[in-house]
Amino acid sequence: MKNLQRAGLALLAVGLAAVPFVASDTLVQFGINALLVATLTQGWNIIGGFTGYPSFGNSVFYGLGTYGTAIAMAQLHLPFGVGLVAGGVLGVAFALLFGIPILRLRGPYFAIATLGLAAVMSAIVATIGFAGKNIGLILPLFRGDTLFYELSLVLLVAATGTVAWLARSRFGAGLVAIREDEDAAQVMGINTTMYKVGALALAAFFSSLAGGIHAYWITFIDPGSAFDPTLNVRMVIMTLFGGPGTIFGPVLGSFVLSAVSEVLASKVSTVASLFYGFVIVLAVVFMPKGLLDLFQGFRHSGFRYFAQNMRRFRL
Amino acid sequence: MRRTMMVLAIAAVAACKRAPEQGGQITASQITLGASVQLTGRLANTGRYYGDGYAMAVERINEKGGVSVGGKQLKLALKILDNQSDVNLGVRQCTQLLTQDKVNFLLGPFSSNDALDQSSVAEKYQVPMVQGGGASSQIFSRNYKYIFGTLPPADDYYASTIKMLMKMDPKPKTVALVAADDSFDVSVANGTRKLLKEAGLDLVVDKQYRENNSDFSSILSLAKSSDPDILLWSGHEAEALNFIRQAKSLGMSPKLMYAFTVGVPTADFRKALGKDAEYAFGMTPWLPSKDLKDDYFGDAAVFAKEYQQRFGYAPDYHAASAIADVEVYAKAIAAAGSLEPAKVRDAVAKVDFGSLYGKVKFQPNGQISLPQTVIQIQKGEVVEIFAEDFLGKPRYPLPPWAKR
Amino acid sequence: MQLFAQILVNGILLGGLYGLMALGMGLVWGVLNIVNLAHGALIMLGGYAVYYLYTKGGIDPFAALPIAMVLLFLFGYLLQRFLLNLIVRSAQLNTLLITFGLDVVFVYLAQLLFSADFRTINPPYAGSNIDVGGVTIPYAQLAAFLVAIFLAAILFLFLDRTRTGRAIRATAQNLTAARLYGVNPRRIYALTFGTGAALAGAAGGLYGVVSQITPYIGVTLTAKSFVIAILGGLDKPIGVILGGLLLGIAEAMTALYLDPTFTDIISFGLLVLVLVAKPAQILGRA
Repeated sequence: MKNLQRAGLALLAVGLAAVPFVASDTLVQFGINALLVATLTQGWNIIGGFTGYPSFGNSVFYGLGTYGTAIAMAQLHLPFGVGLVAGGVLGVAFALLFGIPILRLRGPYFAIATLGLAAVMSAIVATIGFAGKNIGLILPLFRGDTLFYELSLVLLVAATGTVAWLARSRFGAGLVAIREDEDAAQVMGINTTMYKVGALALAAFFSSLAGGIHAYWITFIDPGSAFDPTLNVRMVIMTLFGGPGTIFGPVLGSFVLSAVSEVLASKVSTVASLFYGFVIVLAVVFMPKGLLDLFQGFRHSGFRYFAQNMRRFRL
Repeated sequence: MRRTMMVLAIAAVAACKRAPEQGGQITASQITLGASVQLTGRLANTGRYYGDGYAMAVERINEKGGVSVGGKQLKLALKILDNQSDVNLGVRQCTQLLTQDKVNFLLGPFSSNDALDQSSVAEKYQVPMVQGGGASSQIFSRNYKYIFGTLPPADDYYASTIKMLMKMDPKPKTVALVAADDSFDVSVANGTRKLLKEAGLDLVVDKQYRENNSDFSSILSLAKSSDPDILLWSGHEAEALNFIRQAKSLGMSPKLMYAFTVGVPTADFRKALGKDAEYAFGMTPWLPSKDLKDDYFGDAAVFAKEYQQRFGYAPDYHAASAIADVEVYAKAIAAAGSLEPAKVRDAVAKVDFGSLYGKVKFQPNGQISLPQTVIQIQKGEVVEIFAEDFLGKPRYPLPPWAKR
Repeated sequence: MQLFAQILVNGILLGGLYGLMALGMGLVWGVLNIVNLAHGALIMLGGYAVYYLYTKGGIDPFAALPIAMVLLFLFGYLLQRFLLNLIVRSAQLNTLLITFGLDVVFVYLAQLLFSADFRTINPPYAGSNIDVGGVTIPYAQLAAFLVAIFLAAILFLFLDRTRTGRAIRATAQNLTAARLYGVNPRRIYALTFGTGAALAGAAGGLYGVVSQITPYIGVTLTAKSFVIAILGGLDKPIGVILGGLLLGIAEAMTALYLDPTFTDIISFGLLVLVLVAKPAQILGRA
């Protein structure tokens, strides 16, 4: 069974890797975005899903990755690889520096502090001349969507692999303990500060690399799009939609929601966002524990799954 | 779980296989133009000019027989996607238009930032994009070959205004400049500073504010305390509304006049402000004048009337610029006698014709050059004041709020 | 000095309105534990309600405020009673998710119904002002400020002195205890959310008088309300108003003495500093 699972996953990865060679450019474009968003979602899953810290600052890591890459390429004329590393270093350094004071806060207060950080960073970048102020930076044009796609795929696989490792390691167990009861975890002898900062740094690593790839792909960036707080909201939503604290839930959630909004945007065009809103509202009502839970629960108890859930969560 | 993943993978592969057939609706008997514009979302208010303008131009050109390509009359078709004011979605939709929907050429979105991103798709696929929504000099400084713009350069927006000021009586001495910090407005502010210096005017207040700012009380109080003769403002329409309303409530009024880069030509602006819109100077590269003759619409005045009747709101220069974009393709394709992107691109670079928008001819960098006509709101109407010389009588100097 | 006084007055007047915007969000958050991302959309709907009552119904905007509040109250009550009550006991983030979905729906419907045109509520007296020792005080902003203070005071008295208000506060402390208190939690929840929506409605109407309304104004207002509600201590009306004043004054001063492009850095930087430095004291219940 276990081997069968592994074989299935490997097949899926190979299938996804083959997409740019067989599919249309449109699908590849969609793929790049879906993979990057899935990576971001998986990053959020580490800090939000496993550790239970609802971060609104992951868009900062994404933005720093974006700017690290863009400054290296547009201002210093360094190659893409160097830019990507610079972005990753910036993101992780920021997580380590601000993680310690911020992670002392809990629940909504943590959320609001990270939201504040995101707004501050966006505003600060908009005043730095070297980062192009609020006018933005232009990166060189590169005709290599296959490369962007494969890089994004590698990044997502790495992020998912990391989460899979978390799910079975001591480190991951420590994070879950913090989520369930932080004080108890501390009493049990877990160095909660180190664990939490570690989780945040991991999230920052993947988010900032995703930002770097996106910057080179889109060629023009400005603080508004790089530090977009709604991107962070999307990470949260996609994680919850799929199933927080699971290995594949966030990936599934982001693929499904990306696909839904993309199809709506190109087929029904102007009412797309309305449908998107309704999908989210209905999803919360009918599958409050995410898609994965829905699949399992539905196999168990059929349509009674919905009634059970509703009875449990309504007032 | 695994089964789900497999199903997804199979679905993905199936989707790839089907993709190439979807372009089937386009036949050789038509030329398809594609655009990803903001029909909903934050920028929908101005985005609609482009959606409506493109549709109207395509329809009219077809009524007049379409475009003649190598002795064959071809009709135009239009494929518009709504990008919900999302830049990323706009970029993906441009790719979709080119590769899946197989459109022949691209039209542009509204706003400089959107045009910056979308035009790199056009450049990537080496298909021309003629856009009428982005004026920032950044768009044309990248040495791209396939991007053309029908809005005049942002740096020169205040050129005609300052020229007019030098001929006014009483002559102004001091100026306050207030501008947003985004690409377009920074271009305007930089250009304006240079122009002011050349004109020998004294810049007493020079403030930049954060894009989407809604509170101007501090800037207004500061400007009030230094009491300038002139106030020049550059930003977005929503901010202009807030600025003027707050100027009134704080009793701030420059001694001689104030002018705005956006808002003044649009009907929406006058409606939202009512009487408070009076006296505001602005600028436009286009006015619905009878003198602007057009091969498809007769002239600009006729066009403005038809547009108003059809869509229920008056066109401004955005709409006229959108019409010009479509006409550029009609002329260029006919001249190229081919639908090959590279040939059409060269023909676009060479177009030179009079339209309801004005004389359309691109500079080597791909941007058009049109003078801005200074306008003023007088008794609820937009009145032309100055181009090369005075066209109308300005209401000048500006009375303080209490005496209006 | 005169300029300083003027800027201070500007900041205070703006801050009062900020406080009112956050009042409803803080109440809903503090009592129901719902972080309402659709709060800005409710403010926007309140703005349109007053706009249409004024332009189509000819009712003075300040007289239209109570009507808009009643409309928004009913809307909020029904929303909580028949939709949000279904999920309030699931994970807190789920309420975030559903209110985000609702926000998208409201904004889109608003664009469909009201178009994306800019609307202003512009009664003849909107721009008039009075000069007090060289400091200009705009009437409309002053009135908006007074309404905000008045509503905060009413809310305080309601929560503190009435039976229903005490029931709401009991709910905030502990749901089980509230049941023992003999209140019907479904009704109390709906009542609280309705009150929050009504306050948002009032804020929207006033916002339309001093600024302008489009379907898209909500996002920024939600973010501001978020910050102020936290600064002020959620369901403590007086604290929230003070939080609003703090933010208003900080923004106005930054724009004058530093640079207008720095306002966001200061206001959000202040928030982060406050949270990190002294969470327990400032918030009272972190």
